[in-house]
Amino acid sequence: MRGGGVPTQRIVPVDITLIVVLVVAFALFFDFTNGFHDTANAMATPIATGAMKPKVAVGLAAILNLVGAFLSTEVAKTISGGLIKEGDGGVLITPELIFAGLIGAIVWNMVTWLFGLPSSSSHALFGGLIGAAIVGFSFGAIDYGVLLSKVILPALIAPVTAGLIAFTATRLAYAMTRRYDGKPDGRDGFRYGQIFTSSLVALAHGTNDAQKTMGVITLTLITVGAQAAGTGPEFWVIAVCALAIALGTYMGGWRIIKTLGTGLTDVKPAQGFAAETGTAATILASSHLGFALSTTQVASGSVIGSGLGRRGSKVRWGTAGRIALGWLLTLPAAGVVGALAALIAHLGPIGITIDAIIGIGVILGIFLRSRKDKVDPHSVSEVAASGQAVKIKRNPKPKKVRK
Amino acid sequence: MIDWGAFLIVFVSAIIATIIVVGLYSLGLRLLTRAGRVPVVGPAEFTDAITVITEAEAQHAAKRAAKAARKNPLTDAQKNVARFGAYLCFAACGAAVLYGIYLIVPYFHQ
Repeated sequence: MRGGGVPTQRIVPVDITLIVVLVVAFALFFDFTNGFHDTANAMATPIATGAMKPKVAVGLAAILNLVGAFLSTEVAKTISGGLIKEGDGGVLITPELIFAGLIGAIVWNMVTWLFGLPSSSSHALFGGLIGAAIVGFSFGAIDYGVLLSKVILPALIAPVTAGLIAFTATRLAYAMTRRYDGKPDGRDGFRYGQIFTSSLVALAHGTNDAQKTMGVITLTLITVGAQAAGTGPEFWVIAVCALAIALGTYMGGWRIIKTLGTGLTDVKPAQGFAAETGTAATILASSHLGFALSTTQVASGSVIGSGLGRRGSKVRWGTAGRIALGWLLTLPAAGVVGALAALIAHLGPIGITIDAIIGIGVILGIFLRSRKDKVDPHSVSEVAASGQAVKIKRNPKPKKVRK
Repeated sequence: MIDWGAFLIVFVSAIIATIIVVGLYSLGLRLLTRAGRVPVVGPAEFTDAITVITEAEAQHAAKRAAKAARKNPLTDAQKNVARFGAYLCFAACGAAVLYGIYLIVPYFHQ
């Protein structure tokens, strides 16, 4: 049955139904935290520029995430097929392995969140799964071609791409509305546009991020034979994932409104409009082709790019470097945590129980932590930190900024 | 193995879409300003953390907009053309976004 496998799979069988339920529960929780963490990406800018009332913005983001999740399932297919070698010459993915990967992702997300390190939920998930697969089988378990072309390269290219696009768009927006006679330039009007562009980002987030959880659940269902290999997610999976991410978005929004400080005040309406358009276009185009990239990274790349597009801007390399380091670190670090979780899971039912307890502990930790009001804004939003990565001189010529 | 073409497609389509949307919207704003209708956003507070726009700032902006509108050198007909052009730009911008969404949803193509 297990072609090419290493003879270490003497796992004591755990009740299949139980493990599937556990995987689904943890996957949905991961989805929830994803929405919880990412509301800022879409909605922090319009709230900060006064384009939308916080309550409206958060509600809208939740609804659009819900809708977006139904729009496309290309990314879910990438995850549920191809990344880990299956079938002939590959390995047999077990629900335990996916479970371990999920624990790795959730734990790493929690740790980075606690310490205020920038991180990507998507990379945490991939890292966790890859780490678990390597421990469960061997380094040959991963299809490195798919990993490179569908995960790592998009992750490196997408933020740069988004930054470049946002830079161009910001230049364009400023050039087209620039007035040298000091009369009102109407740039306030970009605030209204931001309502729509930020909605697009929320929609794009739904089409990209909710897919990742769908992919994981579908992969689990395929491994236990509840679903044919190579098929897309079932309707109920799409529905619960959409609901989980929407709920997370809604709950997370309130926290962000409370905690988000001055990080984004540097973002002007025209710039925010350009950045959001660039983010949405990049995410939607890549989701369409099945690239599972990190929404947070794309949004951050856009904010930095659009900041550079403004006059008199300068990169704060320290902040930018910290963000880049976080990008590079997440995948391997979550891999290590996922590998550890897989090692524990190998103990059989006891291991699974230990993993589940760790997972629940982390969830409780997040819950308790989120009850606190004052949190470092950087831990809330990486995009807010990106806003500070670009330094912009006050009153750049030729535009006179209103007092 | 690595589909570089796909990356290129993402980049090109995303940058074209962004330039169309941002360009049209900016052009619309420019025309709207030209027509003497400078958009002014009302006062807004971002909970207790920061005040985005104060009452005074909003009033100041409104006053400047009104002043600019009074001194507008265009005739009424020209203003109407500019305003109409602005609305056209915003509509085209919205249509571009909707078309983009249409392209992305597989459901519409089956």
